[in-house]
Amino acid sequence: MKNRYKPIKYIKRVAFSNKLDSIISLTIISFGLVFLISLVKWVIFSANWNVVRLNLPLFFFGSFPNDQLWRPGLWISLFAILSFTTLWGPPWSWLRKNLPLLWVSFAPIGVFLLAGGCGLSPVESRNWGGLTLTILLTSCSAIISLPLGIALALGRQSALPVVKKLSSIYIDTMRSVPLIAVLFFGQLLIPLFLPVGLEINRVCRAIIAFTLFVSAYIAEDVRGGLQSIPRTQQEAGEVLGLHPFQITYLIILPQALRIALPSLTNQAVGLLQNTSLMAILGLVELLGIGRSILANPEFIGRYIEVYIWLAAIYWVICTVMALIARHLEQQMSLEKKDL
Amino acid sequence: MKISYKATTQILIALIVISIICILINNLTVNLIKTGLGFSFGWLFRPASFALAEHPLPYSPSDSYAWALFIGWLNSLKVIFYSLLLATLIGTCVGLFRVGKNVLLRLVSAGYIAIIRQTPLLLQLMFWYFVAILGIKGTIASPIGSVLSISNQGINLLGIKLSAEFTSLLLGLSVFTSAYIAEVVRGGINSVDKGQWESFRSLGLKDSTGLYKIIIPQALPAILPGLTSQYLNLAKNSTLAIAVGYSDIYAINDTIINQTGRPIEGFIILLLSFLFLNLIISNGMEYLNTAIIRSSNPY
Amino acid sequence: MPPIVKATNLTKSYSKGILALDNVSISVEPGEVLVVMGPSGSGKSTLIRTFNGLETFDSGQLNILGISLDCQNNEERKIRRIRKRVGMVFQQFNLFPHLSILENITLAPIKVQKKKRDDAEQNALILLSQMGIASHAKKYPSQLSGGEQQRVAIARALALKPELLLFDEPTSALDPERVNEVLDAMRRLATQGMSMVVVTHEINFAKEVGDRILFMDSGKVIETSTPDIFFLNAKHERSRKFLNQIKKK
Repeated sequence: MKNRYKPIKYIKRVAFSNKLDSIISLTIISFGLVFLISLVKWVIFSANWNVVRLNLPLFFFGSFPNDQLWRPGLWISLFAILSFTTLWGPPWSWLRKNLPLLWVSFAPIGVFLLAGGCGLSPVESRNWGGLTLTILLTSCSAIISLPLGIALALGRQSALPVVKKLSSIYIDTMRSVPLIAVLFFGQLLIPLFLPVGLEINRVCRAIIAFTLFVSAYIAEDVRGGLQSIPRTQQEAGEVLGLHPFQITYLIILPQALRIALPSLTNQAVGLLQNTSLMAILGLVELLGIGRSILANPEFIGRYIEVYIWLAAIYWVICTVMALIARHLEQQMSLEKKDL
Repeated sequence: MKISYKATTQILIALIVISIICILINNLTVNLIKTGLGFSFGWLFRPASFALAEHPLPYSPSDSYAWALFIGWLNSLKVIFYSLLLATLIGTCVGLFRVGKNVLLRLVSAGYIAIIRQTPLLLQLMFWYFVAILGIKGTIASPIGSVLSISNQGINLLGIKLSAEFTSLLLGLSVFTSAYIAEVVRGGINSVDKGQWESFRSLGLKDSTGLYKIIIPQALPAILPGLTSQYLNLAKNSTLAIAVGYSDIYAINDTIINQTGRPIEGFIILLLSFLFLNLIISNGMEYLNTAIIRSSNPY
Repeated sequence: MPPIVKATNLTKSYSKGILALDNVSISVEPGEVLVVMGPSGSGKSTLIRTFNGLETFDSGQLNILGISLDCQNNEERKIRRIRKRVGMVFQQFNLFPHLSILENITLAPIKVQKKKRDDAEQNALILLSQMGIASHAKKYPSQLSGGEQQRVAIARALALKPELLLFDEPTSALDPERVNEVLDAMRRLATQGMSMVVVTHEINFAKEVGDRILFMDSGKVIETSTPDIFFLNAKHERSRKFLNQIKKK
């Protein structure tokens, strides 16, 4: 008998505790219902999903040659499997130990699968596009900017004034400029700074610009981790007679990176979202391909469908990455407490 | 021995950095000579010869590039300022709802934050511009006649006309930033010891009074740094104005570079204007910070 | 045999002219256990931290294991050579939280003494079983109690086969019921003839194990006596006052 009344009491306590509360709750419920009904109506009756259905390969793989679609397909599946294993995979220790390694090798595998060579037929970078390009830009920039960011963070903590000053100037300058400017000028200026005759493609230029930008942010995250390691750890290493480099490499850095890992993953989420900026700088990554499809007379005016579809893809990937960040955070606090 | 080792390392690193810069500058000079443009700021005072839809001060295409850049700077300031206010307002509300008692409000704000934070800002801006504003058919007037009317030309609020571009940028930036501000507010409130809630409740204070008088003053020191970095992000993000065709400093710089073919000078101008902008925001927040600390801690 | 530690007129001042060490002269003979006592802020920790170069000093001479450290000439390599031969145990254990117990102990033998991993691990297991915690070898520091962690820290210091062990208040951070397991381990080391300098407030340990007691206050050495004299009939008024305060607790 008691149990039957409990839910009602609970609902009353959390949503209808007083007059104002009740009014707010009722408004939310009614607005929510109206919104939900009109959304369902629109999705089923008014929306024309042809624009998405007919262009699915474009959204995922860009204009990659049709007979080679398995290559980006395989790579994106690898991404999904890796994320899934990280989140819900079995707790085998050898698997857990090798997961970071797999994540690190994810970007090079992608470059090999997309560009070809060594037995695969080469595909030019202007044929890369869609979600594949988005993930490629994200993973390549992330993997290169991580060591760079760590080096900058160590530089900023360095006892050598020249190194400290140089790292600080770089980090602070990069962090004060908007990303779009770095990307735009990356496209324009990188060719100017290269020796005459040496040319690199737009995707490479974008990755360089992203790397230069993101490493400054990673540096600050890593620095936060470094600063949270107590000075006594340094001393404990010193009294064992370890060399300063060994102390940094074996004791301080591994701990700092663990602490910084959740914020580094958030940085990766931000990076993935920011690769969409290349859409206004002439790359056809996920948002860019959406724009070019919308420019096709056949699909003109289908803004809502395309934007909602794109938002859904971005949302799913970013949410999974955010879940990974939270998962890592929990794992870390678990390890810290006890097992 | 110790000193000389450190000195040599430093000199070595300085030399490496300097030589890399020299190689880059050398390449740059060779490339600039090849294009025949050189490096100068003389073009700043030539007529810009492009029109601007929005200019808070008088402007015509015969005015100089420098004046056009200044107008762009003012446009940036305008949109940053209003977005900052709106984002703070929405963000604070959502953040408070997020920690409030009403489960439905908590759910709605959690959903809001999850959707906004996990989709790209650029996509949201395009949505606001192409769908929410340009997609309006006819004019939607508010119930009170001429107070507010919205059409695909923008918003008319009490006779003040806001262009479609400005409106969508304002809404997009505010909504995006507000989700981050909400998390900052929530984190700040959660950082206050739970015992504080219990103690003001035990004194018979209402939750709203306690929140206003006890919790928020203690949460502010934790909130302000996060707020500052969100404001700085907002300022940087305002450069996405170019995607909706609003003439901010970056968009005008972009046009000028396309006309003059001088990316290096343009980059320097942009860099300087953002260093200046960051300085304004961080100094303003620093001022606010000290003012609040002084008012909350009279000793 | 020459003394293991020989300090002559060590002086160190912090900013604002406060003296952390005021003309301290002391020597430690091989196999001796020197217990350093004194109120907090008296310079005990500073003194033993100069013995392995964690703290510098302003003037005086310091000779550790035949290696002389002048205040002007604090060479990094010289200090590392000393540290390889002098072990230290901290108040807060300072184990490396990201390494297992075994890895904590084998890190320095492998990386500093370039021993083979197998040899280092075997030696570590022997040390752990001497400390009575061999079953924890695969665990991580956070899974151990304070007393167990401190015994790991002692094993870590012993792994380098040091000629001198420094203890900086090794039991102050422990729960009262955990203190004895650590003191017992230290007693065993003393009977094996290990030279030790121990900063501690444990009167019973000092009475039983200490060969000499060094009492410090405000950076000065107030008196150096055998435990019998110090605890029953301290020469100095200041020492007696301090002992009364501790006994009250």
